[in-house]
Amino acid sequence: MKRNLKFWTRYTWECGGLVLAVAAVLAVLAIFGAEGLDFRTFATRVPYFLCIGAVFCILVGNTGTEVLYVPLLLSMGETRRNVLLGFHYFRLLIIMATTALCALVWLIAPGEVSSIGLRSIPTIVCVLLIASALGSIMGTLFTRWKWAGTALIIVLCGLGGGTMGFAGVSMQDSFFTAKTVELAAHLMSTPWWLAAAVVGSLAVDLAFQWMLLRRQEVKL
Amino acid sequence: MSLHCENIVKTYGGKDVLHDVTLDLQPGKIYGLIGRNGAGKTTLLSILSAQNPATRGSVTLDGEPVWEHRQSLAKICFSRELSANAESGLAAMKAKEYLRIAATYYEDWDKALEARLVKLFDLNVKKKLGKMSKGMLSMITIVVALCSKAPYTFLDEPVAGLDVVAREQFYKLLLEEYSSSGRTFVVSTHIIEEAADVLEEVVILHEGKILLKENTQTFVDSAVHVSGKAEEVDAATAGLEVHHPETIGRSKGVTVFLKPGQAVDESRDVSVQPVSLQRAFVALCGEEEARP
Repeated sequence: MKRNLKFWTRYTWECGGLVLAVAAVLAVLAIFGAEGLDFRTFATRVPYFLCIGAVFCILVGNTGTEVLYVPLLLSMGETRRNVLLGFHYFRLLIIMATTALCALVWLIAPGEVSSIGLRSIPTIVCVLLIASALGSIMGTLFTRWKWAGTALIIVLCGLGGGTMGFAGVSMQDSFFTAKTVELAAHLMSTPWWLAAAVVGSLAVDLAFQWMLLRRQEVKL
Repeated sequence: MSLHCENIVKTYGGKDVLHDVTLDLQPGKIYGLIGRNGAGKTTLLSILSAQNPATRGSVTLDGEPVWEHRQSLAKICFSRELSANAESGLAAMKAKEYLRIAATYYEDWDKALEARLVKLFDLNVKKKLGKMSKGMLSMITIVVALCSKAPYTFLDEPVAGLDVVAREQFYKLLLEEYSSSGRTFVVSTHIIEEAADVLEEVVILHEGKILLKENTQTFVDSAVHVSGKAEEVDAATAGLEVHHPETIGRSKGVTVFLKPGQAVDESRDVSVQPVSLQRAFVALCGEEEARP
């Protein structure tokens, strides 16, 4: 288990770098479109960039993990149970790290947006958990039934692209506090259907994963 | 300590790839697993190392099941033949990364040996696996197999794509590692002749069944090639286990497998020659290619 933790912790660290890189690109794009930028205003928006980066990386990362790392670790003598546990540890770690970083930034830079942001954390965690489950489901489908996995990837990438476009348009106004407050306020309450979606997606993900993993054949 | 599989059956799409395979691998030996394409060699090694599940049957190491048993799995290394095509996802991984993951997972990984082998094979570990030639990928699998220090190590076509010098190096390294550690190696290969001197025991898998498991020298010594006029050959080999008859005009050649106490009747006008491992294997598994 020690070796398993070592591998997945390092992998989380590498994926964390990717999250930061995507967030940095989004932040730079936002700065270019901003008018009257000050550091505190900028800082309170950074966690949202981090969340978008995390959703993107978790979706892509989980798919890649299912397709590549799960069979690779099985080929190196790890048990299926430990691979499953390690994968969930990685997923939890990256969600916790992203959420903690967001909370830290909002605590360091207090203000109206930060206050809303801190109250949005349950919703953010829900979104990250759903993204994590969807990424893993995509990977499972891709490993087991390539055509179904590919179709889901196309649908989710389309949805993701649309969301990013919508977020991009919103970013134009994101440095006006009133506009940001209006947008961020939507995340403050966690609707019941979002919580239900978390439970549903995680259940489907776990069932899919176990169904695949217990009979999975290693192909490298 | 022995690795034992009992009545292994593996079915793909309703077709049995392995039929009731029972095999016992003793410690401290180099086994050669030979068989024709599609005989089930890789499938068998995958099941022995719990990389693939068996449809039926069990695999145990020292009486403990191998499936989902970390302590047993830690003693087995199956260094798979890498394809690293675009689909596998491995293509984008650097060799250095692949070796780093192997070093993390194999608890007795020998870092010094890794450095030595990388230097010996002149491997550029910063290169992505997808950019490597078949020979270089074979070298990576050899590095993993030897450095893992696993008591049971399986190599699937380790010399595929290697030039003759690298193949010689591999067999030398294998013997060196074997004599210093006493590990058990199972080498699956199609280049039988080169491996013959290294293999202590040979396991022949044919159409999903174990056809033979025997000491290599005993097996080779038991086979002879008998040639001469057809009627003389038939008379000299009457009552013996005859394989792979080849007839050209009135001449005939057959490979005979002799049981203890049996002999070819050399009073007949026939020539009796020893055969190589490869020739004996072809005689056993290549019946359908025999000339009428």
